[in-house]
Amino acid sequence: MHTVWVRLNAVVFFGLTVLLCLSILAALSKFNHTAHYQPIIKKLALNNMKSLKNHGGVDRALLSFDLQADMTPAFHWNIKQLFVYVIATYKTDTNPKNQIVLWDRIIENTDPPEKKQLNEKNVFVKYGLVDQGAELRGKEVELSLHWDHMPLTGTLFVGKQKEGTESAFVLPAEYL
Amino acid sequence: MIKDMIDKQILELKKLWANKRQLTFQLLNLAMIVFSALMIWKGLMFMTKSESPVVVVLSGSMEPAFQRGDILFLNNSVEKVFVGDVVVFKIKDRDIPIVHRILKVHEKEDGRVELLTKGDNNRVDDRGLYAPGQLWLEREDILGKAVGTLRYVGMVTIALNDYPVLKYVLVGMMGLFVLTSKEG
Repeated sequence: MHTVWVRLNAVVFFGLTVLLCLSILAALSKFNHTAHYQPIIKKLALNNMKSLKNHGGVDRALLSFDLQADMTPAFHWNIKQLFVYVIATYKTDTNPKNQIVLWDRIIENTDPPEKKQLNEKNVFVKYGLVDQGAELRGKEVELSLHWDHMPLTGTLFVGKQKEGTESAFVLPAEYL
Repeated sequence: MIKDMIDKQILELKKLWANKRQLTFQLLNLAMIVFSALMIWKGLMFMTKSESPVVVVLSGSMEPAFQRGDILFLNNSVEKVFVGDVVVFKIKDRDIPIVHRILKVHEKEDGRVELLTKGDNNRVDDRGLYAPGQLWLEREDILGKAVGTLRYVGMVTIALNDYPVLKYVLVGMMGLFVLTSKEG
């Protein structure tokens, strides 16, 4: 029996199925994008060491850095935004590996092209380089750029600077 | 017209009640739908090792990436989580899990990690959201890493939670259709 309800149900269900299929196709359409298009990172390096102090038992370093990168290649029609962030990686005696985000920025796909070029000179960190203890003095810190692809629909994945191209610096041996 | 349709449905139900064989068939049909859904959910739980493989975003703390009503697919079978990953975590004595991004990872010698998170759209990190006195999250607190997203689908869930009556109406209607439809 073909009542209105049965028909309505069929139409809604079919509509939702089509939408789901289109979403999956949209996600699949840019499946191999990163293999061919990678952001160009020209520079990411320490510019100025502002301070290294002990606050209530934990060490905190404040610094500024230079960042030049062209993020345009990472964008395509299924990318809503990139979440770009700078990570500091270092070792201490208690923790074999520490990773801290120092700076981040959201670049939306709708932003004008010049915003997709990062051209930061002597930019101050957004989050201080804070250790869990008081072990920052004299440690080697590596800076690297990462970016999270956030799609309109589909998979989330992180891209990062090619290994071996990161820059490193050594924190001062005494508080300053 | 609505009354007409209701009458028709009632008539169908009465007919169904008289025909026990048909009634059994339709009930089994309904049970199959319910159990298939349950199986898919449990299967996902098994594959992702997560107690809730699909979550609905409820707050705007990750905007503009995730809005209220988006759904996220989680994977908890990854052994390690990294800084920058979007994760869903649970705080002791709180029902609602939170979707935020990892800001800091401190890895201990025995492989344990201590994590700090922050919402992209929030100005400060999540220490204020954690349990009183809690400074760090651990791997066990994390329900899963967000690996995929689908927009708007969660709106249904939000509507059902905001208006509980809707839940019964919808489930009741679906059950009725399955019982009275002759095509199945």
